[in-house]
Amino acid sequence: MNKGGGFVSESVRRLSEETRRLAELYMSGEVGRSVRPAEFGLSADFVDSGPTPDRLYAEAVRRIAACAPLRILPGEKLAGAATVSEAMRHEVPLTPYRSISHTTLGFEMALRFGYRGVRRRIETRLADNGLDAGERDFLEAMRLCLEAARHWHARHVAELERRMAAARDGERRQLSAVLVALRPVPEHPPRTFREAVQALWLLWNFQRLCGNWSGIGRMDKMLGPFLERDVAAGRTTLDEARELLAHFWIKGCEWITAEGRGSGDAQYYQNIVLAGVDEQGLPVLNAVTDLVLDVVEELRIADFPIAVRLSSRTPERLLRRMADLQRLGGGIVAAYNDDRIVPVLAQFGYPLPEARNYANDGCWELLVPGKTSFGYQPFDALLLQETLGLTRPEPDERRRKIECDEWAPHARPDGARRDYPDFEALYADFHHRLERQIERLTDASAFSDTPCPLLSLLVEDCIGRARSYLQGGPVYTVRSPHAGGLPDVANSLLVVRRLVYEEKTLPLSDLVAIVRSDWAGQEALRRRILTRFEFYGNDRAEADAMLARVFNDYTDLVGARRERHGVLRPAGVSTFGREGSVFLPHRTATASGQKRGAILAPNLSPTPGADRRGPSAAIRSHCSLDYSRLPGGTALDLKIHPSAVAGEAGRTALVGLLRAFVRLGGMFMQTDVVDNDVLRDAQAHPDRYPNLSVRVSGWSARFATLSREWQDMIIARTEQGRYGERP
Amino acid sequence: MTGTVFDVQRFSVHDGPGIRTVVFLKGCPLDCFWCHNPESKCRVPNIGYAPGLCLNCGACLTACKMNCHRMENDRHVYERAGCRRCGACAEACPAAALETIGRETNVESLIAEAVRDRPFYEATGGGLTLSGGEPLAQPAFAAALLRAAKQASLSACLETSGYADGSVLREVATLADKVLFDIKESDSERHRAGTGVPLEPIVANLSRLAAAGARLELRCPIVPGWNDRDGHWRGLAALARRVRGIEGIRLMPYHPMGVSKAERIGLDSANMPREFPEPDTVAQWAHAVQALTDIPVGVG
Ligand code: SF4
Ligand code: SF4
Repeated sequence: MNKGGGFVSESVRRLSEETRRLAELYMSGEVGRSVRPAEFGLSADFVDSGPTPDRLYAEAVRRIAACAPLRILPGEKLAGAATVSEAMRHEVPLTPYRSISHTTLGFEMALRFGYRGVRRRIETRLADNGLDAGERDFLEAMRLCLEAARHWHARHVAELERRMAAARDGERRQLSAVLVALRPVPEHPPRTFREAVQALWLLWNFQRLCGNWSGIGRMDKMLGPFLERDVAAGRTTLDEARELLAHFWIKGCEWITAEGRGSGDAQYYQNIVLAGVDEQGLPVLNAVTDLVLDVVEELRIADFPIAVRLSSRTPERLLRRMADLQRLGGGIVAAYNDDRIVPVLAQFGYPLPEARNYANDGCWELLVPGKTSFGYQPFDALLLQETLGLTRPEPDERRRKIECDEWAPHARPDGARRDYPDFEALYADFHHRLERQIERLTDASAFSDTPCPLLSLLVEDCIGRARSYLQGGPVYTVRSPHAGGLPDVANSLLVVRRLVYEEKTLPLSDLVAIVRSDWAGQEALRRRILTRFEFYGNDRAEADAMLARVFNDYTDLVGARRERHGVLRPAGVSTFGREGSVFLPHRTATASGQKRGAILAPNLSPTPGADRRGPSAAIRSHCSLDYSRLPGGTALDLKIHPSAVAGEAGRTALVGLLRAFVRLGGMFMQTDVVDNDVLRDAQAHPDRYPNLSVRVSGWSARFATLSREWQDMIIARTEQGRYGERP
Repeated sequence: MTGTVFDVQRFSVHDGPGIRTVVFLKGCPLDCFWCHNPESKCRVPNIGYAPGLCLNCGACLTACKMNCHRMENDRHVYERAGCRRCGACAEACPAAALETIGRETNVESLIAEAVRDRPFYEATGGGLTLSGGEPLAQPAFAAALLRAAKQASLSACLETSGYADGSVLREVATLADKVLFDIKESDSERHRAGTGVPLEPIVANLSRLAAAGARLELRCPIVPGWNDRDGHWRGLAALARRVRGIEGIRLMPYHPMGVSKAERIGLDSANMPREFPEPDTVAQWAHAVQALTDIPVGVG
């Protein structure tokens, strides 16, 4: 748990006092609050000249590079800062365009070839006479963006030189070190660890300055070899390297304002992936892996959510370190299971080396970094509510005919339902609705004209195809359907089947009427359901089998539409907090005893409060599904109270959960060690816990920055024990 | 083979090595005034009632033949006098405000539940733990469970108060891979006063198990104001020295979670301490004991 005032660890002290102070400065929000809207714009003449969108974008990037304020704070070891606030709003500053997130760019490629290499490729491509005007325009815009990046770099070099001239010894040496590392990169490929860290920072940060929020990707894989060479040659020490990485982390907090943003999105998808294997299948585990964990342990910065790729071969030592970090709370470190994921991706169609190189999109969805245009299509799979006539009225006669003849007979204009003769008929109606929804999603076009030449620079094969990230330029364009609410569908089906069709204690129409009235006057029945049913998450065969049926049908439906219009459609299951925001207003009460407004299951985790048998049972339930069917991935969110994982025994237990999760074939798990009293107190007194952070499915958030409904959701998840004991 | 169990708890991490499933057997010959599992004491089921969950629906009134339930100003009242603990009201209660604590179950179903977490045991050196109550209050059932665990290749621990027929205890305990042996007090007089039973047979049993080659860990509940004193630390250290083969001493700091449990089943909780010891205090205890012995001393 990241508590306000205590976010820099007192017990762990490996970093210098200076670095620790810098961390406190950034995390206090002082730096973030100084980020202002751009005080410059595009010239009227330029805009009047009627530039193409790509050229308008490129000009904006040029202006940003030329005019955005520089920020080089005393003692900082890395240069570059995202200093205009439009970028924090997911916009390309100075333009009307939305920027891009949910991706991880090709930083590894850029470190290998430098901007120089990218420029050469653009120039070679521009020499091709077969390009049409649009393609040429796009490539030109990319080239201009590169020039802008070069200018941004030059401004930093000049500023550092200026400051050096005025500085005294100590400061001078320090500035000189920054300058020496900065000068050649990222124009040229870095040669040392320090150059590599500086290059990665600037590659990433310049995108960010222009509004694009990329994940970082596989940091230890990218930086580890540099460090190993430097250490072997005596050019640096692990202590120095740790300081440098700490500065990366600290500067990554440049947008923390410590003022509530009021939205659920409290960070900028700057995910980092550690460990795993490389393209050849060799383990990635090096000094950078350890140093990153050191930094997080000491600074407790949750703004770079970390996912560690595990397998049956992961050494115990790494698992124990993860357990230690998990016990700090805040859910900064999550786990992927390579043993499951790599084969799933390969089976889906990625070449094995690329499957092995997977990273994520800024949450936890899987992608091949630097080669993928990623998007996901979330939808509420609680379509069972429609089957039961619990939501909106059916579409009118005409649309019904066109869309789904088979499904139509049960429809009622008022949204009411005819009784289904048996459970299978009811299920068939749900299945039709699911299919219709998936057909709609997978038929939607994935491409867009929104310009993005800067981002496209770092994505293969945008140059080769002379097409942008959003127009099919990347090697893979992925739009992953993501179903939310599957556990609640299964739980509701379980109740309907038993009460209506097996025990026959309640006609369907009565049950529907009760649920529609939000269980008014039926508290006894509702409680009976909650206390007598063992729902998904308890390692009970009946509930898990029902979910498996829904899950298998969903993955079959998407699997049959693997690729359409040049777009890959890997099935995924997630909610990413939608269960507490987007879905919530539309959802009615459920047949599983949930009232309207209750927070239902996040991702593919148990419905809050339904998992009564603890984390091992929740893991078993979750892993009873066959994830070889789910190339889009899913998450299990485990909430564990600190009491359960105290002491050496608790650490062993956390390691055991990770090992068993891998062995049982799960995909992604995040374990959050939290204490509900702390959360409640934080809700009542946000000022006491400005940095309390909680992670929800792939991203962590400062609790105080979340809106009330999100806080409630997290508290609901934290609640252990029986439904009945909840207020 | 059946027996009475009042809880099965998966993912227990402080009851023997690794992640374990703990089966709590009902019944106990001791009567410790601080008991944190008061519902374990009685061999027959208890009826638990949690007023906070009650819906005042009246279903229990109809279910009970003994008229133990009534409504007063539309509020449900449960009068335990005359209750036969038949469980009919709990069966009828929709909200689980009334609950039967303790159920007759068989070895097969318990082992079937326990093996479900095998991957977690294998990752951590965990397994099954029999606890209670006093498992030896149901010796044949405990023995059958331990044998079945062995057959299913599950590691099994036995947690015991040590207060049982010596030869029976030895027979059962040697079926376990490890015995978590409670020592509540090292002074004879105080032991009898605080637990209702003499200390001597317990110590004799401890020696007997040690002689039989059992792997032993001492579990020592520390109740502030009762046994948190130097004399007890010395007593524990002396005992550990005298009895060969004790692998560890674990101090179990008192927690008042048993109070609400006692109230829930209608027991008087007036004598139960209400305070948690401070973490610093607990650390001092551990330190004090460790200073007196080479055997590793742990907490919790
Ligand atoms: S347990 Fe039986 S006798 Fe006791 S109150 Fe309930 S129904 Fe009545
Ligand atoms: S049946 Fe349960 S909920 Fe209803 S009055 Fe009795 S105790 Fe209360």
